Amino acid sequence: MKILLEKSAFDIETYLKNGGYEALKKALSMKREDIIEEVKKSNLRGRGGAGFPCGLKWSFIPKTEGPKYLVCNSDESEPGTFKDREIIHKNPHSLIEGMAIAAYAIGAQTGYIYIRGEFARETRIIEKSLAEARSKNFLGSGILGRNFSFDIKVVRGAGAYICGEETALLESIEGKKGQPRLKPPFPAVKGLYQCPTVINNVETLASVPYIVLHGGSAYASIGVGKSAGTKLFSVSGPVKKPGVYEIELGMPFKKFFEEELGGMREGEKLKAVIVGGSSVPVLTAQEAMAANLDYESLQQAGTMLGSGGMIIIPERQCMVEALFILARFYHHESCGQCTPCREGTGWIEKLMKKILEGKGASEDVDNILSISENMMGRTICPLADALAMPAISFIKKFEHEFNAHIKGNCNLCRK
Amino acid sequence: MPKIKIDGKEYEALEGETILQAAQRNGIYIPRYCYHPALSVAGNCRMCLVEIEKMPKLQISCSTAAQDGMVILTQSEKVKKARQDILEFLLINHPVDCPICDQAGECYLQDYYMDYGLHKSRFKMSDKIRREKRIQIGDYLTLDRERCILCTRCVRFCEEVTKTNELFVAQRGDHSFIDIKPGEKLNNPYSLNIADICPVGAFTSSDFRFRKRVWFLKTEESVCLGCATGCRIKVQYDENTVYRIMTSPNEHTNTWLCDAGRMTYKELYAEKRLRKIKIDGQEQQGKGLSAVYDKVSQKNPEKTAVILSPYLSVEDNMALYLFARHALKSCRIFLPQLKDRKISDGILRNCEPAANAAAMEIFAKVFSIEIFNPEKAGEFDFVITCKKTADRLHLEKEGLYFSLEDCGLEGILIPIKSYFETKGTFINWKNRAAVTSPAVKNENKFEVWRVLSELASLYGSNLPFENLSELEEICKKEILDGHTH
Repeated sequence: MKILLEKSAFDIETYLKNGGYEALKKALSMKREDIIEEVKKSNLRGRGGAGFPCGLKWSFIPKTEGPKYLVCNSDESEPGTFKDREIIHKNPHSLIEGMAIAAYAIGAQTGYIYIRGEFARETRIIEKSLAEARSKNFLGSGILGRNFSFDIKVVRGAGAYICGEETALLESIEGKKGQPRLKPPFPAVKGLYQCPTVINNVETLASVPYIVLHGGSAYASIGVGKSAGTKLFSVSGPVKKPGVYEIELGMPFKKFFEEELGGMREGEKLKAVIVGGSSVPVLTAQEAMAANLDYESLQQAGTMLGSGGMIIIPERQCMVEALFILARFYHHESCGQCTPCREGTGWIEKLMKKILEGKGASEDVDNILSISENMMGRTICPLADALAMPAISFIKKFEHEFNAHIKGNCNLCRK
Repeated sequence: MPKIKIDGKEYEALEGETILQAAQRNGIYIPRYCYHPALSVAGNCRMCLVEIEKMPKLQISCSTAAQDGMVILTQSEKVKKARQDILEFLLINHPVDCPICDQAGECYLQDYYMDYGLHKSRFKMSDKIRREKRIQIGDYLTLDRERCILCTRCVRFCEEVTKTNELFVAQRGDHSFIDIKPGEKLNNPYSLNIADICPVGAFTSSDFRFRKRVWFLKTEESVCLGCATGCRIKVQYDENTVYRIMTSPNEHTNTWLCDAGRMTYKELYAEKRLRKIKIDGQEQQGKGLSAVYDKVSQKNPEKTAVILSPYLSVEDNMALYLFARHALKSCRIFLPQLKDRKISDGILRNCEPAANAAAMEIFAKVFSIEIFNPEKAGEFDFVITCKKTADRLHLEKEGLYFSLEDCGLEGILIPIKSYFETKGTFINWKNRAAVTSPAVKNENKFEVWRVLSELASLYGSNLPFENLSELEEICKKEILDGHTH
């Protein structure tokens, strides 16, 4: 079952032939509350990484007068994640249609697509698609002859990972330095320009037309339990067929790995899997093979579905080196507001460098573990956790590789 | 009102209060760096983390509202550990240069380390991030970026209080540092407050830098005489020297203190400070008061103008008034034209530069004193007032002038004590009376009231007080009755 990538439509004519914008027409004849109700019923959860129930998020928007905003988070910058890009490439109008429906449901007049700065080509696609949608009056004033006006502006990021955090993203749109805001107030109460705002990921919004067209329960019946619908996984690493896959939630990793990805390339052996983007704890091959790809199963396995940015790590990859690269990334991207993250990420990178260069001692590994513990859950946004969680899991699950580095006999690095 | 439990005891929080505020109001101190009661909440230092029942993560008490039924722990092992961990993080890249840091002794890194840290360092010295030190960021402020903990109090002060927005945090992560827009200086009229609110040694006062260890300083509560606002101040001194003026926050007059106010103590050490009584440009040896009498008594009282001064205390003005009435008798008594007493900059600076302007109006009412008209100065041969009032009226007449500094005024100059050296009552723009407290002594200078009292006896007419407390009693009855202190 595929929803998002079933039929690709690069231009609006093809999208319309595929039945595009029918959902918007249907939505505009529905009551706003009913749309939110359907989305709630669908069990659609935020696809950006946190998995917050989408309908619930929309229902937090107060029914007061005054401006409200809908923001699409297309800052896709979690290492290993490239699934939103695929939607923009193959089905850009599904995002625009989803946004128009969401805006109607929450009463937003203006939408923003905050797109990662490196996505130059994707920005052009979005701009072209927006122009097409405007020309057909799916955007603009009096959409489809109804008393509903909505348009979308595109804002390009400037390369900061932290601007993918929704409140830092809002700061960035407002022209300020991208730093997460203290919550509460949550964006639904005080978001963009201090107005009620919904921020959804590209994949979440692109799933909305299907829900409106087929009903919430139809969507909820796809997948497993509270993990409803389909999910995109962007797979990188030495598998036979890396790329972006849309699967029903709940598929066993083993099945996905063997049937869709075609297993490892010749001569490669699976060592570990990062399932949901670089911020989540790593799974050993054995753990991964026992897990199913849905929110609950992965939580049970000690990790998270996250963004679906799946990184397949082969046996030949040194885990110390891999963690060093992660530490360097999060150190570089920490916004620096909160003490534990600002100081902790840099400290871990320094220790990792030392270990990687063979100058480490076993107490350095212990220190990384305790620094990670000291960072976790004590900051405004989860960036500190995003290094702490992988760090702890890498060390606990691949301790022998760290020990080998300390003793100076890592045979993976020497190769 | 929300009922909360902190460390096992029940308290009532006020509506809208945060946990930190409710705790503090009830005598429970929660350590903090970025939180400041007069600034917006940033929530970035994470020092004020507390444990709240039913919440899996520790919460920052500075931004978490105290809600009914909350059970809060500020002393649990989890909280203590968190505080120690935050301190460890704050200190890893800190230079720990306390021996050469002016903040030492009033530094929240030192204090909290003793209270909550006491951990051994496990960070390599050579790994510390080095940053710029000794940046003269404004006329009064020195910035040391190595000592900064990025709490952003300074940034928020410039955004929210002075609204001048000079500062910002440049860069990200542990490369972050406080910076100022290129080519600008941090010279807003309230810049020294930043040195006060900086919890560490990042912003220090260039004026106070390296002059005294703070633990030697003693403090006198006093009132600023920089303008009619009458901010309450702390005069800090040691061994008969004033080293700095700090704000003494209170709900009636001021939270902050302007730079000009803080610099008023410089009058004590001005190079131009008047050393001895000067008559016609000649320094008088000895006490010199009889020479003063010889000169003043030759003047025709009917052609003498006594002008009360809004720069002098209520007591000194009363002495001046009584001297005019009892000794000179037939002279005329005036007060200078006053300005509107209102805040000129939306913060603290007053349109009226004299500290005792409000008292002048009471004198005028009680004793029916008229305002001096400089255009009619020609009617007089001789003036008795203080130097600052003479300057204000552009008087260039022979007279008897009470002055802190040596100046070109004609006639007699009496070197008076500064109100850092003597006591005096001042009434601010909101009609609140405050008394200066002498922090330092200066036996070589005169008190205005004493000079006038002694001159009066030379005239053969004793003023109706023997000492300062009797004079104060007169002032209380005639002028200060009904004024709140």
